[in-house]
Amino acid sequence: MSNFKVSFRENNNVHVMDLKGYLDAHTTPHLEEAFEKLIAEKKYNILVNCKDLSYISSAGLGVFMAYIEDVRMNKGDIKLSNMSPKVFNIFDLLGFPMLYEIFKDENEAVKKFEAKS
Amino acid sequence: MKIKKILFVLGSGFLFLVVFIIDAILKNIEGGLDGIFFIRVLLVAAAFVLLYFYVDSKIKSAEGGERSQIQRLGAVAVWTGILIASYIIVSILPLNWFESRDLQLYPRDYLTILFSTLLSIVSGLAMIITVRYVKEMLFYRRTRGTKRNFVLLLVVMFCAAASTYNLRPLETSLGKTILFTVAIFFIIVNSFRLSWIAYLSRREKIYALLYALLAFFGFMAINIILSEMSSLTKALLYFNYPLFVFVQLSALFGSVYFGMAFISTLFHLPTAAAFDRKQHEVSSLYNLSRLITQVFDFNDLAKTVTKMTLEVCEASGAWLEVLPSDGAKEFGKKAGEHRLDGIVSRHNIEPEAVEQILFGSEQSVRSLVLSSKKILLVDNVKGDRRTSYISRIRNVGTLLVVPLVSHDEPIGILYATKEIDHGFEDDDVNIVSGFADHVTIAIENAKLFKKSLEKERLQRELLIAQEMQKRLIPQTLPFFSSADMKAVSAPALEVGGDYYDIVMLDEHRIGIVIGDVSGKGVGAAFYMAEVKGIFQSLSKIYSSPKEFLVKANEALISSIDKRSFISLIYAILDTRTGELVLSRAGHCPMLYVSFDKKQYVKPTGMGLGLRAGKLFEETIEERHITMKKGDVCVFYTDGVTESRSSTGEEFGYERLLDLVAAHRNRSAEEIKEGIIQGVWNYTDEHGYDDDLTVFVLKWQGV
Repeated sequence: MSNFKVSFRENNNVHVMDLKGYLDAHTTPHLEEAFEKLIAEKKYNILVNCKDLSYISSAGLGVFMAYIEDVRMNKGDIKLSNMSPKVFNIFDLLGFPMLYEIFKDENEAVKKFEAKS
Repeated sequence: MKIKKILFVLGSGFLFLVVFIIDAILKNIEGGLDGIFFIRVLLVAAAFVLLYFYVDSKIKSAEGGERSQIQRLGAVAVWTGILIASYIIVSILPLNWFESRDLQLYPRDYLTILFSTLLSIVSGLAMIITVRYVKEMLFYRRTRGTKRNFVLLLVVMFCAAASTYNLRPLETSLGKTILFTVAIFFIIVNSFRLSWIAYLSRREKIYALLYALLAFFGFMAINIILSEMSSLTKALLYFNYPLFVFVQLSALFGSVYFGMAFISTLFHLPTAAAFDRKQHEVSSLYNLSRLITQVFDFNDLAKTVTKMTLEVCEASGAWLEVLPSDGAKEFGKKAGEHRLDGIVSRHNIEPEAVEQILFGSEQSVRSLVLSSKKILLVDNVKGDRRTSYISRIRNVGTLLVVPLVSHDEPIGILYATKEIDHGFEDDDVNIVSGFADHVTIAIENAKLFKKSLEKERLQRELLIAQEMQKRLIPQTLPFFSSADMKAVSAPALEVGGDYYDIVMLDEHRIGIVIGDVSGKGVGAAFYMAEVKGIFQSLSKIYSSPKEFLVKANEALISSIDKRSFISLIYAILDTRTGELVLSRAGHCPMLYVSFDKKQYVKPTGMGLGLRAGKLFEETIEERHITMKKGDVCVFYTDGVTESRSSTGEEFGYERLLDLVAAHRNRSAEEIKEGIIQGVWNYTDEHGYDDDLTVFVLKWQGV
């Protein structure tokens, strides 16, 4: 199943990744590439918009864990937004809300980034 | 078979003896033979028929059907030799021979009768053998007419012989003359069947030339002897006229046939070497294509390939280079590798020479061929610009470099050299290029075979891992009358990351744990085994679920990969009171159904391996539930809730809750089966792709 896509855009100096589709063990490499690309370009204020994300598996959750340290060490952050209730439930079960800031709306998250800088 | 042969020999010998005795008795009686003349002819004929059977069975058993033409030719030459020798011996014996009257022959003494008889037997035998062997030669690659022509010849020969049965020895007849002429016609017709010569090797052709010449001269000599009314002729005529005719015709046939064979061989000789080579090429290619299906050992294959290269184009040196399978153009890029590691087989050339030819320049023939993927022929290594970088190598005059290309990618290179320049003709290049295609297939085949072996080995290892993992989950659950428990766990792949376990904390309290390692397969299985160890050792030391989870996190966090984590749910049940203490670390909430309520119990708690120390500890909550009779707790992994229907919809929490609630009054076993069956019915085969574990606890009351 490769019906997973990451696209990039910018929203007030925040680098937004739009995730679309089904994120599981087969498609996580795409997300890894996306994070690596942003980090390589020293873009550390990352917002992951999950509006069109239909599913995330444990392997997908692992990707966020893999890069968060790096990003925070560089005074950036990975924030998430626009999750469907189902996807939020998966994040929530594992305790992600205690590790990441998760917003209902993208602009809230962007504001949070701005407030910090 | 042996007895039969002995009977043939004894039978014919006996008949010849009878004939001899008759002849001896009637020696001096004028016209005494007339009365039993016919019987005598029949006796002689029968004796030769038996002799023929003997020869036939002897040839068949000796050959087993397989004897080379050259051996047959040799045998014929030997027999003509024997026959001529016996003629010479008999003719120098001081015999009195015959007196002739009225076209009739009368032996002067008994010795004449004896030698006439012996001479006739040897002549007849030699001719029977000759005809029998020539038949085999004629029938080589026979066409439709072959057998017919030969049978016609035999029929005419026998008719010619038979027509003379009542002639007196010195008499002749028109019938005989006519049939004789017809026989000669068929002798000539049959003598064009010489196709066996073409398929002889060069060496065999030289022998064939010699043998055919000997046989030709032998038969010619016999013809000359028998054409004159010599004593020898008279001896044969005296013994049996038909036999004489048969011998005469056979000798004629022999001389014509072997004369033709000699000439034909002579004409074939100049092309013999080329024919040999073609034969060799064909058989080499054939051997190679057989090799492809038989040899799976790579080194064997490489050796055979270079050896065959030497053979098919008569090269003086050859070697085979195989390129690394990871797409790199040469070996030696990694540590411990040498750039000549790709040379898997080498014949008659030094490694130093190979290294210079291959890597002596940036623009070596090797790199030229790798980029062009086409055959490269350097006719004059010393004079050619492309090989000007090659010095000091004296024994390479011509160099042929053939890339082995599979799916447009070079997988190897075959090299052949010759000491002289202009050593390879177009013909050689063509054959080597055809040969290279076969080699490519053979190499690919060997590689595939190796891969499939490797895959098989991994599969076996995985099965072992699967067996071992099965033993990591409880084989049986402890029995309590108050708590009815049933569990099942099934990995999606051979091994998985789901885990459940149960431990007796003391006489009355049991610890139940369900866990899920992130990811699937072997990686998950390793962590699952680690969790098992941690659970078995720590659960007995730390008596509260929260404490256990905190310590387990501490134990795990140092060894776990930063993108992996483990979710656990841990419950301690007091089997006397039904009191359940529950903590959750990132795992699916516990499903709880009592007579008036169905719900998920979800204390907060982060997955293990995500955060260390206090950060983790602060998130963990503990819940206390006192179970009442008939209450059902279900622990499970996300394989249950995330199973998908054919439309892609998840099984989900609601459905699970309803399902368990509907089965509430059943036993733990039935509830467990109900869940598995429910999930199974919901998904089609493709929806079930995650590890799946279910643990059902039903409180029966004390």
